[in-house]
Amino acid sequence: MKTIRNLILTLVPIALVACGGGSQPSPSASTPSSSEEKKLNLFCWSEYIPQNVIDGFTRETGIKVAVENYSSNEEMLSKLLAGGGKYDLIQPSEYTIQALIKADQLHPLNQTALPNFVHIAPEFRNMSYDLGNKFSVPYMAGFVGICVNMDKVKTPVKGFLDVFTPAHKGRIVVLDDAREIVSWALEVEKLGLNSVNAENLKKIEPLLKKWLPLVKVYDSDSPKTSLKNGDVDLGVIWSGEAALLYQENKKFAFVLPSEGSHLFVDNLAIPKTSTHPQNAHLFINYILRPEVSKLISDAFPYYNPNLAARKLLSPEQLSNPASYPLAEDITRMETFTDLGKESASVDELVTQIKASGK
Amino acid sequence: MAGTTWLDRRGTQLGCRRAGWSAWLLLAPLLVWLGLFVLLPTILLVVTSFSHRDELGRVVYSFTTENYLRCFDPTWLSIFWNSILYALAATVICVIVGYPAAYTIGRAGPKNRRILLTLVMIPFWTSFLIRTYAWISILSQEGLANSLLLSAHIIPGPLSMMYTPFSIVLGLVYNYLPFMILPIYTSVEKLDNSLVEAAYDLGAGPLRAFSRVIIPLTQPGIAAGALLVFVPAIAMYAITTLMGGGSNPTIGEVIQNQFTRARNQPFGAALGVLLMLLFLVSFLVLGRKKNSSASSA
Amino acid sequence: MIDSAPLTREHFFRLPDGPRLVRWFCGSWTTLVFGFLYLPIILLVLFSFNESKSGFTWEGFTTKWYGELFQNRVLLHAFVNSLLIGLVSTILATVLGTLGAWMLYRYRFPVHRLMEAFIFVPMIMPEILMGVSLLVLFVILSLPLSYLTVIIAHVTFTFPFVLVGMQARLQGMDPSLEEAAMDLGATPRQAFFRVIFPYLMPAIASGALLAFSLSLDDYIVTVFVTGAESQTLPLKVFGMVRVGLNPQLNALSALGIVLTMILVFGSESLKPSNPREKP
Repeated sequence: MKTIRNLILTLVPIALVACGGGSQPSPSASTPSSSEEKKLNLFCWSEYIPQNVIDGFTRETGIKVAVENYSSNEEMLSKLLAGGGKYDLIQPSEYTIQALIKADQLHPLNQTALPNFVHIAPEFRNMSYDLGNKFSVPYMAGFVGICVNMDKVKTPVKGFLDVFTPAHKGRIVVLDDAREIVSWALEVEKLGLNSVNAENLKKIEPLLKKWLPLVKVYDSDSPKTSLKNGDVDLGVIWSGEAALLYQENKKFAFVLPSEGSHLFVDNLAIPKTSTHPQNAHLFINYILRPEVSKLISDAFPYYNPNLAARKLLSPEQLSNPASYPLAEDITRMETFTDLGKESASVDELVTQIKASGK
Repeated sequence: MAGTTWLDRRGTQLGCRRAGWSAWLLLAPLLVWLGLFVLLPTILLVVTSFSHRDELGRVVYSFTTENYLRCFDPTWLSIFWNSILYALAATVICVIVGYPAAYTIGRAGPKNRRILLTLVMIPFWTSFLIRTYAWISILSQEGLANSLLLSAHIIPGPLSMMYTPFSIVLGLVYNYLPFMILPIYTSVEKLDNSLVEAAYDLGAGPLRAFSRVIIPLTQPGIAAGALLVFVPAIAMYAITTLMGGGSNPTIGEVIQNQFTRARNQPFGAALGVLLMLLFLVSFLVLGRKKNSSASSA
Repeated sequence: MIDSAPLTREHFFRLPDGPRLVRWFCGSWTTLVFGFLYLPIILLVLFSFNESKSGFTWEGFTTKWYGELFQNRVLLHAFVNSLLIGLVSTILATVLGTLGAWMLYRYRFPVHRLMEAFIFVPMIMPEILMGVSLLVLFVILSLPLSYLTVIIAHVTFTFPFVLVGMQARLQGMDPSLEEAAMDLGATPRQAFFRVIFPYLMPAIASGALLAFSLSLDDYIVTVFVTGAESQTLPLKVFGMVRVGLNPQLNALSALGIVLTMILVFGSESLKPSNPREKP
């Protein structure tokens, strides 16, 4: 009967998982073993590390990976700092790494245990938020850019000023991130996207008051939804989302804004409270392998900082303008610095304008 | 008569006895749970609301009232008011939509009653996100509703139904309808048949039978349903963000933001404490009024 | 001449009699309500058979998502966790809510009003506040984050719904019910189980149904109080939005609905019809 079949089919996976899943691997000669117990507590973004990558690691090293997910940097921070969970690996964005380093919350990396680090492209090494890569290794990068539905928008769109025009009133989607929105206004006013202070916020307020009433949807989780559904015609969204849209339908063009915007880099790092740092190093080194990094790119079309892995990608993947924009456009992009307490004033400004602009 | 409280000569509710030690023992689970998992976290929250924060957004335990002073900024007050209005709209519509359905289910045969009741709940055992995205695909510009309306030539061009107050209220009503139907059902189910028949026999048309007899009899269910919808709906943010597109911020979103992007946990805690205080005060005040009117009857 | 009633306009346009009109109106209204409730459900079941991954345009019939679903260990494990946690927390919440409501109704306790107010706190407290404060509490109590902490959290925010529903049922209950039972020789305990409990059954059932669905769908509170093994389905689902909701989820929901309907209709048809039940 269907119920019995379903019941068995749901019980079997539990039994498998309970028994530790997968066959016992024999450690390969190239993977040094660690002296810790064979466990790794991974705290990462949902849908960011493919399951086949994690399973491959377990097969090779025999280390069981316990995965917990979060859907925002701050969620991860809250839980990590409250001390409830003991995590061995986290996946913070670049400005969060900066904040964690400042608060002395990260375990320093042992460079000799990460021989595969050489595969990382030079421009992603030694970045301002973690000089010398003492605490973190880049995982995946992306941009904030403009995605346009070419069927609906016929005029050329090159920068923010082309997006926020009265012609597009009520047809725009933007990220629901006050910091991002403010950084775009700062770039347009040529103040520098990281120069967030009370004076600059006052300067960009009139511009924001012009822009925000034109926006229909604020969405950081899935901005592609409103674009796909035709509820909006263009927007400022993550490059990963635009890449997914492009994969489905080439009518969604992606362009990096002429004024410049955010280059985000998600990294792997080890919290100070980790109980399995050696296993964590093994995992990081494994991720840095070109064939493994390629698997990640296959699953999620972000910008891969691993040069050797990029060589393994298909021409179709590399030709996606949202995944791999032109090199000269990328030079305009900047990473975020940590704002600390100023995040509150940024959030208040945007919420204020949102609430009053009706 | 149902709906009134029976009082004895001393004014205490009939059937309501003084608690002996065995009663305290039976009440213990509730007390312990309330104390440990409701009171303690609330105290933690109040303490947080009076604290500072550091760069990472962590709580620094030094006393300050700045968070509460910030709460009375017009921005936050207007958002507060907005959320209350949405919750009110959702509650009223839920009562109107849900009452006849609850009445039908409650008056159905015993077997059908149980089946229908479970059928009401089954859609809500699917994931909230999938349900909501299904609604988005129905209401969006190139979605199901517009395609049907366009092909039937009812409208000249596609309607923009998503990311409007309409879609927010629809989302709220959809998700909270069972919370209205089920309590009303429990009141309808115990309706004495003879009372209902009597109402009709005395020559009352259906309208009067309902307004004079049936609805007052089911008033506890309606009140419970209204509470179970209104109270959680004020602090709800997932539905309003997904269906509203974020341009109409609600107090739930603002508090959420304080714990995430704005890295200001104490301020979020202060907003939350004020919200709870507002509710608690209204509850205690309204409750006292109800008791005093009952005892004077 | 036969004295017949005059054939006035009223006579022809007379509405059906009261109860029948009410039945007709309520019946059609309820059908519409069920249509409203099930519209997105029908859609998502349909899309579980859709070839397209994004699920907005129909691209062809396929059952491959069901196949993929049964190989998705992570998702299935999360689903089973959700069910387990849901069942346990529903039982606990129902017991707590019923017991609490009865005790508060029956006896006069000194802190009565305050207790009643506090029961509403988990309902009004925004979820993120509850999640964070419970996390801090568990850390202080040195409770490891796992199934236990998730169940505690779920019971805490679901039992008020059970309790309030129960109070509505109790309000205006004829107190002579219990008195009569005791007059006939029953102890208070017997009176409760033989008389009050059956009377409360509909409220218990609806409270349990509400509590279960609240627990199944909770995201924010669970995120903060869960450990790695107790990951529930919503935690996995919320993350999937970034890359597009996988039709495997539709398949899972469709299966869940079918299973539940089979259980419900099956158990109802197996139950012998009770002649003593109120018609």
